Amino acid sequence: MSNTGDDDGRKTPVKDFHSMAKVSVGQILGLVEAVDEVGGLADAATISREVEMDVDRLGPILTAAEFLGLVTIEDGDIRITELSRKLLTANVRERKRIVREIIDDMPAFRLVMEMARSSGAPLGRQQVVQALADRVGSHQAEDVFNALVYWGRYAELVRYDSGSEQLTVRIAQT
Amino acid sequence: MEPSLLEVKDVLKSYFENGKEFKVLDLIRFELAERDFVCVVGPSGCGKSTLLRIIVGLEPPTSGQVLFEGSPIRADNPQVAMVFQSFALFPWLTVTQNVELGLEAQGIPPEGRHARARKFIDAVGLTGFENAFPRELSGGMKQRVGLARALAIEPLLLCMDEPFSSLDPLTAQNLRDEILQLWANPDLPPKAVLMVTHSIEEAVYLADRVIVLSSRPGRMVAELEIDLPRPRNRKEPEFYGWVDEIYSLIV
Repeated sequence: MSNTGDDDGRKTPVKDFHSMAKVSVGQILGLVEAVDEVGGLADAATISREVEMDVDRLGPILTAAEFLGLVTIEDGDIRITELSRKLLTANVRERKRIVREIIDDMPAFRLVMEMARSSGAPLGRQQVVQALADRVGSHQAEDVFNALVYWGRYAELVRYDSGSEQLTVRIAQT
Repeated sequence: MEPSLLEVKDVLKSYFENGKEFKVLDLIRFELAERDFVCVVGPSGCGKSTLLRIIVGLEPPTSGQVLFEGSPIRADNPQVAMVFQSFALFPWLTVTQNVELGLEAQGIPPEGRHARARKFIDAVGLTGFENAFPRELSGGMKQRVGLARALAIEPLLLCMDEPFSSLDPLTAQNLRDEILQLWANPDLPPKAVLMVTHSIEEAVYLADRVIVLSSRPGRMVAELEIDLPRPRNRKEPEFYGWVDEIYSLIV
């Protein structure tokens, strides 16, 4: 099934959020810092050596950092962006706000926000996974759901209770 | 004169097996004052974790003494908190419940516990994960819970035993920075940090002072003031000068 209809021509279809599934906030921030420490530009092999992680483990973190707009990758060269510099100088709370501003506009989150708004009640896990499966396929839907919960919690966009499997959207904080 | 926050006085530790003595630590002596961030570094097996256990009162020294604010240390001292390499979280408790555990033990009533837990959960960047279980967290987030739990008892002294060594290198570096951010805020506890690590680079990155132990039995070979300005850049020659110096002392 095509997802273009839901995405208003935005650059990141829901399925691309899958790249966020296997990485953590700490890994992405650590990567950005490592590139910054060697001058803001480095090839993947150098970073791999610097941080003592092989390219297999580094790959998904790089992909996610690029997806968030924190690095650009061209011909194997990793360069940090202005947004990264903002993150690096921010404190713990400001970092959450910056990440929130990056992800709250992403189609995967907008989908959940719209579902929550139209239902007016907490969303069940299965309900969201099903809606995701329509867009990303059932084999990736669980991963995307878990990524939404992890990043949504970090950015304080969603609450999730893994006991009742209920997801609620948090009221935007000023 | 006011006593130091912590005094480690000629601590010696031996184990005895079949009447034979195995010395682990030999005459360790140093002090910690307010606003000290001290790292103890040494090769594996040098007894640095044993030293930390003695300092927090979990194990008695064979001879010597540990004084906290002038009095012999006790394991139940609420002014001393510990962060563990293994996180030491209860898997069946949520983030909030794990953080509140130490407060419950101190007899703080539920309302006070919730407020205190909320404050420190927020300080370590875990707001949003309050009702998550440890299995839902990344390694870095788990160690943040360990940190929030330790800070929530508002200790004067925070002890950390290899707190980054079970994290991947990127997560570890991110958490080091966030700990330094917390440390730079004088409104937050603790008043002093004592951390044990096998990583010389980590010690030079974090500490104002590094205590270098030899291999077993652990003896103090040096106590060095790291006067590099912060934030420190691990790529700078001055930084590497310190790392090399400590290396040469251990090897």
